[in-house]
Formats: sequence, structure tokens, C-alpha cells
Amino acid sequence: MPKSNARAGMDRRRLVKSGLVLAAAQLASPFVIRARAADAVRIGLDNPLTGTYAAPGKNELIGCQMALAGINAKGGILGRPVELVVEDSTSGDAGAAVQKARKLIESDKVDFLLGNVNSSLALAMAQVSNEKGVLHVVPGGHTDAITGASCHWNVFRVCNTTQMEANAVAGALVKEYGKKFYYITPDYSFGHTLETGMVKAIAALGGEKVGGDLVPLGSVDFSSYLIKAQAMNPDVIIFLVQGDDMLNALKQAVQFGLDKKVHLAGAQQEMEPLEGLPPEARIGTWVMEWYWNQPGVPHVAEFVEATKKRTGRVPTARTWFGYVSTWTCAHAAESAKSLKAVDMAKALQDFRLPPEIALGPNPVIYRAGQNQLIASLFVGDAQAKGAAPDDLFKVTKVVNGAEAAGPVGESGCKMTWPT
Amino acid sequence: MTQVVLFNIFNGLIVGAFYALMALGLSLILNLSGVINFAHGGFLALGAYLAYTLIPYIGFWGALIVAPLLTAAIGLVVERVLIRPLYGGDPLYGLLLTFGLAYIFEDMTRFVWGAQSLPFQVPAWLTTSLSSQFFFVTGYRVFMVVIVVATVGGLFAVLNHTRLGMRIRAGTRDLDTVSTLGVNIRVLRSLNFGIGIYIAGLAGVLAAGLLGLSPTIGASLIMPSFVAIIVGGLGSLLGTLLGGLLIGIASGVTAVYLPSATEAVMYVMMGLVLLVRPRGLLGEEGRLH
Repeated sequence: MPKSNARAGMDRRRLVKSGLVLAAAQLASPFVIRARAADAVRIGLDNPLTGTYAAPGKNELIGCQMALAGINAKGGILGRPVELVVEDSTSGDAGAAVQKARKLIESDKVDFLLGNVNSSLALAMAQVSNEKGVLHVVPGGHTDAITGASCHWNVFRVCNTTQMEANAVAGALVKEYGKKFYYITPDYSFGHTLETGMVKAIAALGGEKVGGDLVPLGSVDFSSYLIKAQAMNPDVIIFLVQGDDMLNALKQAVQFGLDKKVHLAGAQQEMEPLEGLPPEARIGTWVMEWYWNQPGVPHVAEFVEATKKRTGRVPTARTWFGYVSTWTCAHAAESAKSLKAVDMAKALQDFRLPPEIALGPNPVIYRAGQNQLIASLFVGDAQAKGAAPDDLFKVTKVVNGAEAAGPVGESGCKMTWPT
Repeated sequence: MTQVVLFNIFNGLIVGAFYALMALGLSLILNLSGVINFAHGGFLALGAYLAYTLIPYIGFWGALIVAPLLTAAIGLVVERVLIRPLYGGDPLYGLLLTFGLAYIFEDMTRFVWGAQSLPFQVPAWLTTSLSSQFFFVTGYRVFMVVIVVATVGGLFAVLNHTRLGMRIRAGTRDLDTVSTLGVNIRVLRSLNFGIGIYIAGLAGVLAAGLLGLSPTIGASLIMPSFVAIIVGGLGSLLGTLLGGLLIGIASGVTAVYLPSATEAVMYVMMGLVLLVRPRGLLGEEGRLH
């Protein structure tokens, strides 16, 4: 009897047995023994480690780990050692992110929650952290609502709002390129608010939107949108897509030779997509939220060296976000002399970060009433390479965040504190 | 506006040809072995990453030849060790296994090559537009279409004019009888799987020139392949080719009128086909029982 005709060995008994083993594994996991100091302070990081945002998520994690090493070297938080508990929120599954947040808060009993790169996931997690009264720092989720219409007393954000980024770069774009703008926008909260911010900032300077496309997150082929964009005859095509989407769009635009017919630019840009682009596609005017090459600014070089030693590459804005977020937790506790979330949140109002964490030319402060970090924005041009091998961005102007941010009243944030 | 639509249809054919290439390998494996290879995207990514690693040593053209062969070799090992025990069983097991394998491949590439996107260089003379008006027709895209046509041609030549091809075609109809007639169907299935994975690896090298090379490249391209097969019809390679082209065009035209629906439109097409003609446009009835 040819063996290939027999059932492949998976009979009902085996299926039931494997099912039982799987179920047991699920139940047993919380009890898996992990050597943990009983009195450690725990910081929970609920950020993407897989999917489209794995690269920025990984860099934020590295920043967190570097901060952790520094905090523990200085004696920890309130004399206690600090641990980082890391969970994969996935890049787009809000359900998973919320489930992990709950697990970190209820099961791991973290004192702080960090996350998320994905703005929508950050908003979902903020609901949980607010419900549970845990101090929550968002390292890299940009949509305005996080410190705007959906602000909470316990939620702080390190990276800029989309409106701030738009305000910082709009001037350079209108001045250098012209008045007719076409937008390629990722179709989710971040993209929507960034486009709204850009349109508003550019209109204030006399520019106009001649057309745009809302593109599904994770699109691979941008040729149709580029065909449409080119047909509208804009002065500039604005790429608001991020991560791999930005990479694909720019790569294809340059292959089409569009950079010779139209200016290509955008708002937020990061090292991660620039590193992944072929050199000829590293073009355009953008704004970065933090850049490693800041000659003359104290402490930056040490941070760059420390990162290079750990990873072999320069730190990106994401590394800095993770670094700042974790140090924020330490400073909040030390300042309030307590781990109670309300006390720490109050201590962070108008809190100015020390220079070795601020790592920038302007003062870096958590703005009171909004919990938004006001730092610097770096406007400049992408370049194939600079003087140093990792110098892929030529900074033309450093904007003080205080100028780019509108007044707190305009943000839409109405913060209420627990009684 | 008409020009934009026409351009998008033209461009859709180019993009569709690429989807068709991916789907063909998948279809080949499905037709003969009845295995729904969810890991196809993972093999595509593997082909791309292997090419990236090889390019500094043997250049782009060398990598284009060698990387798919290496991927096919890995595919043969996977088939022998993991998939062969599942033949003759419920197709669900094959699906579950390859589904898990897809995750393993993605994390493995992330572990070996890192989560960040890697700059994949194709020869500069390829990546320029051939005409100012038809700017979306770059040398690279034309090259891609040429490769797709050559692969499809080669595949059909093998299937129709070689003994191996004849056995594969016969096996697609009735594997038991083929086995009874003395053909070693284990070797047949292995070779068939290898050819399918070779095509996946080739698609991967081509994809890396168009898109950013990151661990999620496989996951982002696997769904259009499945939709192409379902729309074009299970059991028919020509149908798969047609399905791929149709998806490409539909996506392109949708981008003109409703850009946020460009991904959804292929699923709408799939839904319509399943409702109106479940076997697919050129498919055969009762393909998967």
C-alpha cells in the first residue's frame, strides 16, 4: 500500500492532544518564572515589534534600553532598580495593543506605560491608561488628538503634533517651491491630521491644494497616484506617507523621473526610510524631529557614540523619543518623590528636561495644560550622502517648537484632573 | 481625465503582470499538490533578501539568476521535511502549516537582516523612464514584464512539451492514476513545488527593485496572489494570469476615482466572482473537494 495514500498521521486523538497542550500553554504563560526583583519599578513598553512599524518601534526600544541603563547606573528610580517590560502591540491591530496594555497594567503591574508608534493605537491605549490611572508617555504617535481633543491628565507626548510639523516646514516649501500642492496622504488618523495641518499652514502663506489622494496604509504600488498627481500639474507633490510607504512612494517617483518635472517634498521625514532608499532617491525638503548631526550642541556626540557602540548605527529621532520617554518616567517620579500617577503628572507640568536628555539647541519643556513636549524641529533636505557616512539630511533651519506650536487654547485640549 | 484613466489601465497591466507572476507559482503548487501555500510570500521575501546579500559579490544579474535557485533549493527542503507528511490529508493542515511558516519566515528575515528597510540597488540604466509622456514606463518595469512573459512562456513550454510537464498536467487531473502508471509522484510533487518556489524567488528579486526591502514585503504581496487565483479560476494557469492582470487594472482605475478603495476593490472583485461564478473565470468545477 503506497504510504502516500494513508491519512497523514493526524487522527482525532492527536488533534485533541495537541489542542490540550496548546490550551495548557496559554494558561500556563503568566506563571512562567521570570527572575524579577520584587521591589523593582516597572516600565511597560507596548510598541510595534512586527509589521510595517517594526523599524521605528525597534529604534524606540533601543532608546528606552539606553535610558534604562543610565537610570539604573544612577541608582534607579527613588532608590529602586528599574525594569522594562516589552510587549509587541503589532503595527496596526488596536485590539492587540489594548490587550497588551491591559496585561502590562493589570498583570505585570507596571508603574508607567509607554507607546505607541501608530497614532490610532496610541489613542486606544490612552483610554486604557486613563481608565486605570497609569502615567502614560507616548514616544512617537503624532496625531494632534493625543494632546488635543482627546487629551488626558495622565498622557504625555514626546514627539511633535502633526500641526507643529506642518507649521515648521510650510514656510520653506512655499518659499522655495511654489504655490500648487498635491498631497499623497496615508488614510488614517495621522495622515488626516497632518494633511489638515499642512493645508492650513500652506494656505496661510498663499499656497493652495490642487488635489490629493488618500492612500491605504501599507500600499506597495504608488504608480496610479503618481500618474494622477502629475496630471494635475502641481509645483510640489507632498508625500505624507511614512515608513515603508514613504520608501516605496519616493523610490517609484524617482524611477519615474518625476523629481525632474515636479518638486518632491513632505512634512515628517525619518532616518529609517532614508536609510532604506537608494541614494538617488534621497531627495526633497522635509522636517525631522531630531537629528544626530548637531555640531556644537553639548552631550549629543556622547549620545551618538553610545548608540553607535550598541547598534553600529547612528541614533534616529525614534531612538531619542524612546530615550526621552523613559527618562521622563524617572524624572517624574524623582520630582514628585512618589510613584502616584497624579503626583507625577502634576510634577511634569512645565517640566524642563536637563540638557543631556534634551539633546537640542532650544529648551525642551512639557507644556502645562496639554502635556505636550515642546522641543525643536529640524527643517532640511535629504541628501544622498554628506560628510559623514550616515549624514543623510542637511539641516537648513532649526525651528523652536514654541514657535511652531499654536497656543494651548487652540489645541482643543480641555484637561480635567481627578479629584 | 481620459488620459489619466488610460495611463492607469496601461500601468495596471504592468502591475498586474507582476501579481500574475507571484500567483502563477502559487497556482502551480495548489493545482498539483492541493497545498495552499500561505508561505509563498515568505519565499518571495527570502528570494529578495538573498539577492540583496549576493549583489555585492556577483552583481544584480548574477543575483537574479542565483537567488531564485537558492530559494527553490530551500523550498525543496521545506517540501520534503514539512509538507510531504501532509499530502493526502485535509487541505486545512497544509494551510495551517504554511500559515505558521509565513510568520516564521517573516521573523527569521527580521532576525537575520534586521527590521529596517535595506537599500536594494538595481543597475542605474534600468531605473529610468523610457519616455517623458509615458513616464511610468520605466526600463525596470519593462524588464519586469519581459521576465514575466519569459517565465510564463517557459512554464507553458515545460508543461506542454516536456515529459515532466506532461506528468504535472496529468497529475493535476488525477494523481492516483499517474502514480499507478509508475511515475514517482513524490519526486513529481517536489519538482513542482520547487518550480513554484523558484518563481516566487524570482518575483521577490523583481519586487525588491520596485519596493522597499523589508521583512513585511512578503505579507504585503501574498493577498493579491490569492485573489488572482480565485478570480482567474482554480486549476487554470491561464486563468491565474488573467486574474492577475484584471486585479492590476481594477486597482489602477479605482485609484483614479476612489483612491482609498484601491486595496478593497480586488476583494470586491473576488466576492463578485465567488457569487456569480464560484469556479473563477477560467476555472474548473470541483477543484478542491
